[in-house]
Amino acid sequence: MSRTEQVGAVYDRGYRPYDGPRGGRRAATAALYRTSLRRAIGLRRPWRQKVAPAALLAVAVIPAVVNVGIGYLTRDTPAEGFQFITYREYVGVSSALLLFVALVAPDIVCPDRRQRVLPLIFARPLVGRDYALAKVGAIFTCVFAFSVLPQAVLYVGKMLVSRGALDYFRANTAVIWQVPVAAALLSLFYAVLGVAVASLTGRRIVAGASMLGVTLVSSTVSAILIHADNGGRVVQGNHPAALLNILALPLRVRDLVFLGRIGEDSPLSGVAGGGILAAAGFTAVVAACIAVILYRYRSVET
Amino acid sequence: MSGPGAALDPAFVEDATVVVEDASVWFGQKVALSELGCSFGPGVAGLLGPNGAGKSTLMRAVTGLVGVNAGRVTVDGRDPRQDRDVHHRIALVPEDEAVPGSLTARQLVQYVADLHRVKDGDAAERALGTVDMLDAADRQLAGFSKGMRQRAKVAAALVTDPAVLVLDEPLNGADPVQRASLIQLFRRLGAEGRTVIVSSHVLSEVERLADRVLVLIHGRLAAAGNHRAIRDAMDDRPRHVLVRVDDPRRLAAVLLELETVVGVSLTDAGLVVTTERAGDLAVAVAPVARTLGVHLREVRPLDDSLESLFRELVR
Amino acid sequence: MTTIVRARGLTKTYPGVTALAGIDLDIPEGRVGLVGANGAGKTTLFRLLLGLARPTSGTVEVNGIDVAQDPIGVRTNIGYMPEHECLPLDQTAADVVSTFGELGGLPVRAARQRASEVLDLVGLDEARFRPVGGYSTGMRQRTKLAQAIVADPKLVLLDEPTAGLDPSGREEMLALVARLGGFGIAVVLATHLLDDVAEVCDHVVMLDGGRLVTDAPTTTLLQRTGTVTVDVGPAAAATLAAALAGRGLTAMLDEHGATVEVTVTGDGDLDWVRDVVAEMGLPLYRLTNRLTSLDDVFVHRGPEQR
Repeated sequence: MSRTEQVGAVYDRGYRPYDGPRGGRRAATAALYRTSLRRAIGLRRPWRQKVAPAALLAVAVIPAVVNVGIGYLTRDTPAEGFQFITYREYVGVSSALLLFVALVAPDIVCPDRRQRVLPLIFARPLVGRDYALAKVGAIFTCVFAFSVLPQAVLYVGKMLVSRGALDYFRANTAVIWQVPVAAALLSLFYAVLGVAVASLTGRRIVAGASMLGVTLVSSTVSAILIHADNGGRVVQGNHPAALLNILALPLRVRDLVFLGRIGEDSPLSGVAGGGILAAAGFTAVVAACIAVILYRYRSVET
Repeated sequence: MSGPGAALDPAFVEDATVVVEDASVWFGQKVALSELGCSFGPGVAGLLGPNGAGKSTLMRAVTGLVGVNAGRVTVDGRDPRQDRDVHHRIALVPEDEAVPGSLTARQLVQYVADLHRVKDGDAAERALGTVDMLDAADRQLAGFSKGMRQRAKVAAALVTDPAVLVLDEPLNGADPVQRASLIQLFRRLGAEGRTVIVSSHVLSEVERLADRVLVLIHGRLAAAGNHRAIRDAMDDRPRHVLVRVDDPRRLAAVLLELETVVGVSLTDAGLVVTTERAGDLAVAVAPVARTLGVHLREVRPLDDSLESLFRELVR
Repeated sequence: MTTIVRARGLTKTYPGVTALAGIDLDIPEGRVGLVGANGAGKTTLFRLLLGLARPTSGTVEVNGIDVAQDPIGVRTNIGYMPEHECLPLDQTAADVVSTFGELGGLPVRAARQRASEVLDLVGLDEARFRPVGGYSTGMRQRTKLAQAIVADPKLVLLDEPTAGLDPSGREEMLALVARLGGFGIAVVLATHLLDDVAEVCDHVVMLDGGRLVTDAPTTTLLQRTGTVTVDVGPAAAATLAAALAGRGLTAMLDEHGATVEVTVTGDGDLDWVRDVVAEMGLPLYRLTNRLTSLDDVFVHRGPEQR
């Protein structure tokens, strides 16, 4: 009779220690950034959460597609050269961006406070600054992407429908650096504003409404002041109160990037030193928001 | 399930204040209590069971906050839901109910006193004194720890001088000193003749606190009575008793000859005797040790704590 | 045995209140219970250990790292399970635990792997793919424990881990905590339940009003009192007590009147007990040394002899 060996073993699926590499602050911050970004875009979340970013993307890309379409249709016709929207105007389709940030910034910032997850996060190897950086970074990435990608689509599209791609390129090289820079400044502005307002409360709706409120109130106040001062007449430009309009500050800076000066269509045009004032206003707002954020997330008390 | 030699089912007491007769409560599809029959009288009764077993529902039914869909609940023979009089004699301290944080302890207790039209002006002071809260009485509830909030709620319950006091996890959040004093307080209230019903998950404390326990599982009564008696009643399961003597082998040999002893094993801690009836072993062990002349140093049942009982019931 | 936490003169004051007053600690590796009244300084101590608060004076080292010098280094090797609700409610446990693994410095893949392993360990099966918002207390507590150990810390700080759990849940949680020691993870368990400490911890640290009351192994605190508890059933207790007293022994009924407490100085006294019980034909359900409980130590500030 042959002898068959019977073998069997039970493996202990218990605890295994971890001997692998461990990241420090940088790894933790990057992880927080990734998680927040995923949440902002709606990845790994129910479909409802994906509506806002999808809608924003659509709103952002449509003008590009339209412009390319028009460019194609008007090729070799007298209407050639008609721009549905210029690159400059395109940076900052303000209302859509504002809505997006007002929706998404509270969503990635407020629940951590409301659900008391913050103590758990700060028990990890990161400090308040890192948390702030990750959250601001996530919003920045979204807004920047949604600003720049459609522009890229527009640029490439126009290149393709124009008579000579290389000619188009040579005629529009400045745009290649202007768009990213302006978009970055715009994104930074919205990101710190959104996170700062959201950091003040644990309630998402309050944060979102506050953000919309602050921007709209400031633009209304600015308009009222201008209007009153001009005696009720509609006059374009020439009024320093236009600086109060927080919503429009990034647009002024955008103009500075593209044109080197305030655009004619802005209420600020004609004001002496308007460009410098706009830049200063922009910086002031950004600095204030950063200060608020760092204060709200000071993780270590002295 | 009746206790050994008892005329009355241990779920019931003779001088009952609160009687639950075949009570059923359901919320939509969920059956919270299922034909439950039991009664409570003066003294402290412990209510045990896994989360969701129906303890809170039973407590609410007894205090009239919830109506029974079938069966009856009476307090002093009257319906706690209808009878206003009886309503003033029962107090419930629920587990997690929020209290308005801006009130002070004194204000809360006074408010409840006013609500129930307590005539005695000193009732609030006395209630606060009973729970040892006089020095913190004028601090806002929002600043209290969980344990102190519980005590304030107990004071509010006591201000009406209730005959029946029902407490849902009253020791939650209390630190060891507060626990000890609350346990003493509840025992005293029970000794005064009040009907005290306490639910708790900390079984060792229930052992100290309650004269009898009722175990609820899935809305039905799983066991009732003195916990050791309950353990005895579960006589289809063998018991393990540790016996420590100076000469375990000789003792083991004799014990094995007893009918109820199923097995004996020698461990570092001593002799572990497995028996079918704990009572029979208990009667035998001292005489046997004496006859053999061995020093009996320890006799300890290894599975009659409330914890092991609970484990067996829930399995 | 290595010291996992060393504190010297550790003090923390806030305006108007001294949370910790000059504490010296040498907490050994293993399972340590931290007990104290509310406000005694337990939470403050945890915050100082995590580097989330700076001491007013004094030093504290965790795993040999000075917390004031390198709080980040300390936090790389600590896990924390807070008492309060702290989990994001719309994420699944699998998601939460692996995210916190990454936050603890683990590479993405390792974090996911370990998350899966620790969730197995704490016993969350299918439920781990459902959002935390729908979990029972027991499941949330287990998820909290999982996130504390996912990054394989050397030390975990557990704040009332059995709070809100029913007896079975409590038993399971304590069993898990007990196992952590076997995994090379030191445990500091802050709790109000002295029974949890007696069951699971080898060492006890007691704080009161910011001061250290005790810092000792559990066994030295649980000592014989020289009294034995005799249980012959409530019906016969009084008779037995009288009979023993009649033989010259100090015998009294306990507070329930159900058992007899006898002062015993040696085998001779024990033999008297044995003989009286046998002569009276009483069932001897229990004969045990009455040990001081942690209750006695804590509540009465010293082992009591009755």
